[in-house]
Order: sequence, then C-alpha cells, then structure tokens
Amino acid sequence: MNCHVKSMYFQLFMDPAAAFLSLLLVLAVGSWTSVAAGRPQLCGNSVQQALKLTRLIQKESVDIIKTYKLSQGDMSELLCKVSVNNIPDPNISGLESSERIVSIYTHLQEFFPHFRRVYEQQTDLQLPSSPLLTDLETIDTRSRWLAVHIKDFYQSLFPNLPLPEPAGGATSLPPPQNVFQQKVYGCAVLKTFKEFLSNVSKELRTLKNSVCRRRVQTNMFF
Amino acid sequence: VTFSFIWMILLTTATSPQTDVFLFIGTNFTATCVIQNTTEVTVDDLYWSLGLTPVPTELYTRINSTALNVTIPITRETPDWLFCSVKKSSPDVILNRSKYKHGILLQKGYLPVKPVNLSCMAVQKGAIISPVMVCEWESKQPQGGQFTTTYNLVVRVVGAEVNLSTFPHFMPMEIWVEATNELGTAESEHLNKDANSFVKTNPPSNVQVISEKTFTKSLLVNWTQPLAKVHLELTYEIRYCSDGCHQWDYVPSTEIDKNIHSFRLQDLTPYTVYITQVRCKNVHPGYGYWSEWSNNATKRTPEDRPTSKPDLWLSIDEDESNNERQVKLLVKEPKYSNGRIIRYDMKIQDLKEKDKSGADQWEKITVSEPEANSSSGHFTLLKQIHVADNTHLQVRVKAVNSVGKSPEATLVIPKKSHVLPPVRDLKVYPDWDKLMVMWNSTDPLEYEYVVEVSDGQQMDWQKEGQSVRKTAVRGYLEEFVRYNVSVYPIYRHGWIGKPARVEAYLRQGVPLDGPSVTSSKPGCFNAYLEWTDIPEHRRRGFITYYTIFYSDGNERHCTVPGNITSYTLKSLSRNTRYDVWITASTINGSVDGFNHSFHTLKYAPGEIEGIVVGVSLGFLFVVILTMLLCICKKDVIKENFWPQIPNPGESTIGNWSPDYPLKAETPNENCLSGISVLDVDVCDGKSVFEEDKASLPLKKDKYLSEEHSSGIGGSSCMSSPRQSVSDSDEGGDVADTTASTVQYSSVVASNGYKGQTPGSQSQQAVFSRSESTQPLLESEENPDTLASDGSRHCQRFPRQTNFTASEGNADFNQLEMEEQNGLRSLEFCPLVEDSEHMMPADGQSETWASAPASSYMPQLGGYRPQ
Repeated sequence: MNCHVKSMYFQLFMDPAAAFLSLLLVLAVGSWTSVAAGRPQLCGNSVQQALKLTRLIQKESVDIIKTYKLSQGDMSELLCKVSVNNIPDPNISGLESSERIVSIYTHLQEFFPHFRRVYEQQTDLQLPSSPLLTDLETIDTRSRWLAVHIKDFYQSLFPNLPLPEPAGGATSLPPPQNVFQQKVYGCAVLKTFKEFLSNVSKELRTLKNSVCRRRVQTNMFF
Repeated sequence: VTFSFIWMILLTTATSPQTDVFLFIGTNFTATCVIQNTTEVTVDDLYWSLGLTPVPTELYTRINSTALNVTIPITRETPDWLFCSVKKSSPDVILNRSKYKHGILLQKGYLPVKPVNLSCMAVQKGAIISPVMVCEWESKQPQGGQFTTTYNLVVRVVGAEVNLSTFPHFMPMEIWVEATNELGTAESEHLNKDANSFVKTNPPSNVQVISEKTFTKSLLVNWTQPLAKVHLELTYEIRYCSDGCHQWDYVPSTEIDKNIHSFRLQDLTPYTVYITQVRCKNVHPGYGYWSEWSNNATKRTPEDRPTSKPDLWLSIDEDESNNERQVKLLVKEPKYSNGRIIRYDMKIQDLKEKDKSGADQWEKITVSEPEANSSSGHFTLLKQIHVADNTHLQVRVKAVNSVGKSPEATLVIPKKSHVLPPVRDLKVYPDWDKLMVMWNSTDPLEYEYVVEVSDGQQMDWQKEGQSVRKTAVRGYLEEFVRYNVSVYPIYRHGWIGKPARVEAYLRQGVPLDGPSVTSSKPGCFNAYLEWTDIPEHRRRGFITYYTIFYSDGNERHCTVPGNITSYTLKSLSRNTRYDVWITASTINGSVDGFNHSFHTLKYAPGEIEGIVVGVSLGFLFVVILTMLLCICKKDVIKENFWPQIPNPGESTIGNWSPDYPLKAETPNENCLSGISVLDVDVCDGKSVFEEDKASLPLKKDKYLSEEHSSGIGGSSCMSSPRQSVSDSDEGGDVADTTASTVQYSSVVASNGYKGQTPGSQSQQAVFSRSESTQPLLESEENPDTLASDGSRHCQRFPRQTNFTASEGNADFNQLEMEEQNGLRSLEFCPLVEDSEHMMPADGQSETWASAPASSYMPQLGGYRPQ
C-alpha cells in the first residue's frame, strides 16, 4: 500500500530527479521480483533455520574457545592472541546476494579441513574423554549442516545458478607443527571461525529481513 | 488378493533349479515338471506329491508332452516338500531313481506389514539434547510362519550425514521404519520434521514465586529455561491454584510469550497461598513434546484490608418467663478477609436510644485464635446478650486485619411483636449428595436470606442474595442425620424476619433400632400397647409408619402412623398369649423391634364383680319380692299355713246330739285338738307314700281338700273354716241340688292324728249325726267298719276324687286355680264311689279294723241348722 501511494505521488510531481528515482525503484522491484520468484518457503525454512543454526554454532564456538583455552594449559590466553596464516578469511565477499551466499558456502567448506586438522592435533594433546574433542566434533558437524542449509537456501533463491564448489583443489593446510604451534593454530581456527559465524549471522539476518519483509509486502500488495 | 508363483522342476537333470522357495500364506503356487533329455518317460508317467501325500490329479495341468503343471494353495504354516516323481517302473527308472524324482521345499510365511504410528522423541541430557532418539511404532504383523520380521529404523538428516554424537538442531530429518523378512520389506510412513520437533526438554528449573507487598493480588513467577534459546525456542504453560484446591487454573497461552523466564500472575486473592507449576515445549504449535511439570512453587499473596462484610448472625433462645430473649452473636470471617482477622469491632444499640447515645464506643473483640474457632463450626461467638421482648436492637460489626477494616455488617433484632413475615413454601430435599433448599419470597423488601442448618448440637448458616430462591447447603452434612433447616428473610437495614423451618435428611436409611414395647395393658379382647420412640440419632430417617405384628399362632399386623407411640389392639381372644413386635419403617426400609408378650385376661375387669353384684341383686330382688309377696299375701299365707279353725263351739251339730246337751265348748276342745294334729300329719310328706311325693303340691291341695271333703254336707271338724263357710254358703245350693238326696254323715277317724295313741282307750267315742237326707250306708250302721273306711277316705281317697272331678280339664294349674277359686266345694268326695274303688287289702283292713272304735271322735256339734 505504501508503495502504491508513493507511485501516485511520483506521478503527480514528475521531475528529472523523481524520474531517476522512479527508474531505480522499478529496477529494484524488478530485481527483487526475479529473486523472489524462485524461493518457495524461503523465510520459513532455509534462511531462518540457517540463521538459527548459525547462532547455535556461534554460541558453541564461544563455548568451545573457552573449553579450548582451559584445556591448553598455561598461557592459553597468549596462545589465542597470536596471528596465524593459512586460515580462511572470516569476511564475506561479494556484492550481490548470490555472491555473498556463495562466499559463505565457500568459506564454510574451507574451514572443514582445518577443523579436521585441529581435531587430529588435539586428539594427540588431550585425553580421549576430553570435552574439547566432543565439542570440536560437534562444531565440525554443525558447520557441515550449516553448509547444507546455505546450499539449500542458495538453490532456492537462485535455482538457475549452480553453486560453485571450492575451486583449486585441496584447501591449504599448515605444514607440520610443534605442540605450541598446534595450540596456537587451533585457537586461531576457532577464533576465526567464530568471527566468520558472526559475519554469516549478520549476513543471513540482513538477507532474511530484506527478502522476507519484501515478500510479506508483496503478499499484502496482491 | 492371491499371488501365484511359478516354479520349474526339471527331471533328468543333475539338480533342480532351487531346492526351496518362500511363499506367503494365502496364495497359490504353481510348479512345472519338465522332462528333459529322455524318452524313457512321458508326461503320463509323472505324478505330484506333497510330502508323502499325492496331489489330486484335478490340480494337474498338462502343458505339452514333456511338461506337467500343478497348482496348489498355500494354506498351512508348516513347510512342505513338493515332489515330482515317475510312477513308471522300467529298469532305467529303477536304476536312476534320483534322476526321476525331484522336489522343492515350500517355506511359508506372511508378508511384512507396514509399521504404523511411528513417533520419536529426543530427551534432554544435561544442557543439551541427547542425540539418542527413542522411536516407537506399532506392528500388525501376523504371527506364524517360518519367517522372522526385522525392523530397521532409518534416520536421515536431509542432505547430510547423521552424526550420532550430535543432535541435529534446526536440521530437517526423515525417519521411518522398515519391516523386512524373506518375502520382502514394508516401510512405515516417513516422518519429515525438523529435528527439534522430536525434542522433549527438561521442565523449567528453579521456579520461584515472589510476593510483592504493593501488589496484593499478584505473584511474580521466575524460572530458568531448561535449554538455551539457541538450541530451541520454547513456549511455556503456567498453572496455579490456591492451597487445598483440586483444580488448576491455567494462564491462557495467548498471554505467554516465547522464550520468557518470568510471568506475573494477576487477579489473585490477597493473603492466599498459591501453588504454581511451569512446563515448556517447542514454540511451534504441534512440534515437540511438553516437558514434565516443574516442582511446586508455593507462595502467599500479600495481605490486604477486608473487602467484604463479616458474616454476622445470631442465635436466639426465647425466655418466656422473663420476657426477654437470650441472643448469641456469631460471626464468620468476611468472604474476602484478605488477611488474618485479628479482631472484630462491634456496636450494639437500642434503636429507640440510638439518637441519644450515638456516641457509643465500638467494642473491640480480639480474635486470638480464629482458626481454632473456625474449625468448630467456622464461626466465632462475639457476645451473649439478653434482649427484652419489646426492644429493637441493632448490632453492627466490622472485621479488622493488620491492614484495615472491613465494611460494616448490620443486623436488627426486632421486637418480638414486630417480627416481619417469613418466607413462603419452604421446601428442603436431597439432591444427590446435596441438600437443596427452595422458598418463595413473601415481601419484595426482603434483602437477603439466611439458611440456617442445625442438627441439634451444631449450627451453621449461609447467606444468599436477594434473587436467590434455591440453593444447596454448602456445609458438610452427614447422611442419616436429621437437620433443622431454617430460612430467615433479612429485610433492608438488617431487620430479621420470622424463620420458616423444615426438618430434612440428606439421605435416609433404615433405623438402627426398632421400637421397644414398654408397656402393655392387656384386656379381655384388646390390649393397649405403648412403645418408646426410637432415639433421634438412631432413627436415620423419618418414621413413615409403624407396623404392629401380633401373633397367637396366627400372625396379624396393623399399620399405624409414624407419629404415635401407643395403640390399642382389638379383636383379640380372651385368655390367650400374644407375641407382639413393632416394625419402624422409613422410606428406605424397616427394622423390627424387640419381641414382647402379653396374656389377655380371662375376665374383663369388673366382669366378676358384675356377675356377683347381678346375682346378689337378683337374689335380693327375689328375697324382697318374696317378702313383699309374703307381706301382700300374708292373709293367704296365713290361711294356708295357719288355717282358721272353725270354732266347734259354734257348730250346730252339738245341739243335734240327743245324749248330750248342745254345748259348744266340750266338742270344740276335742275337735280342736284333733284337727291340729291332723293338719300336721296330712301335710307332712313323711306320712305320705313315697310314690306320691312327686305330686306333693297337688297332694297338699288335695289333702287340704280332704279336709274340705271331710265335711260333705256337714260341718266336719276337718273342714277349713272358709270351706266350711263355703260349704255352708253353698250348702244351700248343694242342698238345693241334692234336696232329695240323703245327706251323708262324715266320720273322722281320730287315729289319723300323729302322736296320738291309736289304741288310747281313754278317748271317748263321739258320734255326730249328719243332716244328710241320704240313708246311711251299711258302714255307717256298723261303726267299726265305718271308722276304718272313714280313716282311709280322709287320707287317700280324695286324690282319686280330685282326678275324677277335674275330668275334661287337663291343666293342672287351672285345676289348682279352680280349686283356689271356690270350686273346692265341688271336690267333696262321693264316698260311696270311692269307697268302692279304694277298698283296702285284707291285711290293711285288718289293721284298719283293729282300731275303729278308738279312732272315731264323737261328733258333738253335729250340723248347724241350714
């Protein structure tokens, strides 16, 4: 209804600026319409579930970092302040939604080998009954499930755009490390992943708000 | 639905294609036996057998010259061997029997049945949801057969692998069950749900209720979520009830937001203990399972001032002697006391003096133990006062707790002569487990009603509004107890009206005891019975009637109303023992009383006395009657018992004697002595023959008549004076009738006198001369013979004469009357005839003849001149 009123307004006060804005509005609506055309149950399922799962993993990542620090012995705080290379970028790249979603999916895929490596390293460092191992396994599993959601979400939004798999062979993992380096590496992976999840959460929230709200408005319109 | 399996058995091959097949029961199985690589046998030589039992040839189907089909139904659950054999007994067949016989094992069972009602649940363990899910389903697999059905639960996280160590929050899951046996596989319906749809969390923990003094009708409930919000969004359900209640109040789900951890209960009652519980589940409707209810959280709401009036009432005892009423002022706590009532403020005023003494102080009555008082009748005795009958008294009461005072309750006790009218048509009846009270209003000014219930020892009341006409007694009532239910109308400003009262039972039963007969007063044909009324606490109902049973061998009964305790049994038999017992009946049954016995009287009271008095009176009456008769008839009696002897001196016969001068005195003495003796002798029964005793009265008369007869036609000394007079009076007539006849002389024998010595020689013979004109008989001429005959005649013959004279008249009484009425003169014996008939025997004659001379008395007087 609001859109309709605005259109009437623009028709009454036609000027060059207004004409430009009208053009942008039409383009935006057209773009949104093309996106929204192929997203059945978008807000209700994949995006929301992905967002909830992201929040859960984010919380668990916070918890696991605490657990990690507790399980690494002395100087655990210091360990986590050291920067490490060869860790996936926590930032989401791309301008379009599709690109950003692909970026999320790609980054998730990049983290999985690192989780595996950290798990293997901590298996050597921790007792088998250590909760850190369970938590690492859990965060790895949930991250994979989140990737499934992102994929479904992407395929729902962009059914005609295939989701590109991570390009360029295997993810670059760090070379063999000593125990200290392993501990530093593990904490860096977890912290980076936590940061990445924060970005994913924001991105999904933005996506959800923009896409789902517009869809509701469209329903009201028709 | 039937299924057919076709199986082929090849003869003359080394092995059959398969040795066993799996069949499901209820289908048909078709097998084909094919002859290969031989011409030794043909299809006609083949036969089928099931175990050792040949298959009927009707089930065979010849395909061609080398193939034979058989179709058998699969019915039994036990396995069977099906053989194709050759019946030909050629040498080749005998030597190679194994080539010419093949069989297959038929194993039977049922197809797997699709599992139904699949459900799965994942419960919370610690701070997470356990990855172990418990799934349930129902199997309707038929029992029997050789196959074992196995079930596989398949859980799939859509698009991902299942990690059994992590519960897949926010992941779609697909779960189903596969039932598998040798015959195939059947799948249940697939559950496609979010993983959180299977979650059952722990109940909320640390449930606490907070009471805030400023919110007297509210409680704040806090709890801790059992699971972090990031795992599962939860909604909650809250229920609460006041302490002791039996039904929970639920907070509407629309008022409860998701993921909350506190809630404020509102519209509660101040100063009331509430119990609160919380539970949770997945926020999405239809998803997940409700957790168990949390533990009780108990808290009392804050105290507030009483918001309703105290329930003021009174109990009035009339004291007629002093013209005043004893009034107990009672009060119950206000319905909304909102706290602990610590005291009551009361003011009692006479309405006449209200204006004058308006500054009266409120009396403060402290309630130290309100609970203790309320437990015994739920009310508190405020005060006991005496109210004069001619006084309007107003009572005003306020309840006070620690916060404030309640509104004021007012009652007015009117003058006894100004009591307002009661309600109409009061009815009380039991309805299931309640006692219902109904009434109609009398006056539109009735403001409210008080229903008072009393069992005689305890009393309770309840107030009803102006529009109420029917209510149930709310207090606890016992069965089989009689209650007095009273309804008081309360008019505006608290004026109490006159009560209407009814007795009622919540439930009636059979009396515990029967009535006992306390006394019986048996009469001759009735008996008065009295029995004790059954004590009220053992009556257990209204006695509708008594039945009195009484038996003297034959049992009878009669029914009397239930409001009497005495009765008179009637139509009893005298002098009979009766057993009596009384049955008391209520609407729900009867009970027999104790047996009582009594004996009816042989004679009614006074009956003996009546008989005695009656007999006595009768006797007295007879005596009096006799005395009166004697008095009235004394002359007759005197004449009868003491006849008047004629004075011989006056007899004229004395003048007749030629030898002696007619001198009355001499013969009179002789005659008198002789007659006196004669009278006794004649009437003395002892002197009469025994055979004549029965006719003694008659004889007596006749003897008397003999006296008369002795003087026929003359003045015999044996004749009575009257008779003599009669004789004399009638003598004329007789003389007239017998004027031409000779008069006989009568001679009286003196030996008939008792006590006289018949042989006394001193007596001088007296001869009297009859004036009869009849010539003397021979006997008269012979004095000896005459004396003898005369004696006999005087004593015996007159009887014969009487009978003769009364011939033709059989009535003796009449005869006697005639005798007494002056006909005696006709009874004079005709001596001639009698003497002829009554001639004594010779012996007697001799006896009689032995003293004739001495027995004759000289008839000195002779006949009186006529």
